[in-house]
Amino acid sequence: MTDEKGSVSLSGAGAVAGGSYSKVSISGAGRVNGDLVAEELTMSGAGKVNGRCEVVRLRVSGTGRFDGTVTADEMKVSGVARVEGDANAKELKCSGTFRASGNISSEYIKVSGSIAVGGDVEAEIFRASGGFDVGGLLSADRIEVHPGGRCRAREIGGARIDIRHHGPERSSLLDNILRALRTTLGGEVDAGTIEGDEIYLESTRADIVRGKEIHIGPGCKIGLVEYTESLSVDEEAEVTEQRKV
Amino acid sequence: MGDDQYISKKDVLEAMGISYGQLYRWKRKGLIPETWFIRRSTFTGQETFFPREKIVARIQRIKDMKDEHALDDLAEVITERVNVKLQVAFDKLKDLGWFDEQLMETCCERAVAEHTLSIRDAFCMASLKRMSRAARPEEVDLLSRTLNEALSKKRLDLTALEGKHLFLMRKQLSGVGISAEISVVAIGTEDLVLDPETVRVDSMDLAAMLQQVKLDLARQGVEAPETEPTAGAEGKKEDA
Repeated sequence: MTDEKGSVSLSGAGAVAGGSYSKVSISGAGRVNGDLVAEELTMSGAGKVNGRCEVVRLRVSGTGRFDGTVTADEMKVSGVARVEGDANAKELKCSGTFRASGNISSEYIKVSGSIAVGGDVEAEIFRASGGFDVGGLLSADRIEVHPGGRCRAREIGGARIDIRHHGPERSSLLDNILRALRTTLGGEVDAGTIEGDEIYLESTRADIVRGKEIHIGPGCKIGLVEYTESLSVDEEAEVTEQRKV
Repeated sequence: MGDDQYISKKDVLEAMGISYGQLYRWKRKGLIPETWFIRRSTFTGQETFFPREKIVARIQRIKDMKDEHALDDLAEVITERVNVKLQVAFDKLKDLGWFDEQLMETCCERAVAEHTLSIRDAFCMASLKRMSRAARPEEVDLLSRTLNEALSKKRLDLTALEGKHLFLMRKQLSGVGISAEISVVAIGTEDLVLDPETVRVDSMDLAAMLQQVKLDLARQGVEAPETEPTAGAEGKKEDA
């Protein structure tokens, strides 16, 4: 129980066997062969873990590839990370690019870069100002999106869903230019189904939106809206069919 | 798909008086299994359906556990992630229908030594208890060995039991003047095809059994494992 765990730092090209470590740092081109358990894993070069990875803190500022499930308390990606499998992190912050072929589950997810997930994304709070591509269901208690790229999910579901461009309070020239850029660069959300209790949408395309209190804002194109309590539709929005159920 | 068997998401919310937020939250907690969400195309587009009986019973159960802590306990017990490590003190289980000290001795020696029960032990015990209605003592032993071996060799995974059944079969062999009967145990899907001379004595749905065990444990108020100052806690750390 009391044995000291070693730390390892790979700064040239090298490989280290899997196992249990205190800190692992890869700044050159490094590989971990086998399952890794560590307090901290930092990848600022090109790193690869050939196995499952269970760490407390994970930072990828270079490129990181993971062959199996990644579990972390805190995961920060400012470079490029790619997981072949599921990723579980209490807190996931991505300002770079993050890809996972399986599911992501987390308590708090913040995306200012982009994430692409083959399966589902589950969180308590999901905040995105970048882009995302979710193959399955994006589900969180609170979903807040300021689309800053291509945002796509097959399904979005949660208690409160809020999709809007940054508020118009500071309407400076720069803001206007940025907004114009964003819309031309596809700062839009595209989803099959969106379901929630309170839904506020801007610049969103969806086949179906279902909920209790719904506001459809400017730039939306919705096939069918089903609501139980209230619905308001902006004049710059397009709703093909609406139904109170 | 008979439509009576299935209920749409919308109708579930309305019938049970719950919100989308709650439904999705429970799903995230693992209280509602992924496999119950059945996506189908309807004339209005994609719709999600649930097996009616199961979802109604489950939501009712969740609603009955009003305070959040109980809900978290339930989630902890139902979700696959954590429960492999779950250890339960015996005295909490005495009232459960499937708890049987004699069976426990045959199926989980480790548990007896440590006075705690893992979810796997509980599952084995409950399965054997259920099968012992029809099985003879030596067959119970055979069932026990089959289950344990399948589980320890990862041929059977507690997180992927959906559709798997445990079978007990007997086959008559008769030759000139003598006859014998052999017992056969198998794990497979419900549609297992047997030769005409083999008789299926009993079978059970393993996934349903696991679910039952978990819910029973949850109802017994199985708290977080670390609150139990038993020998089991130390044993757990060693193999970590």
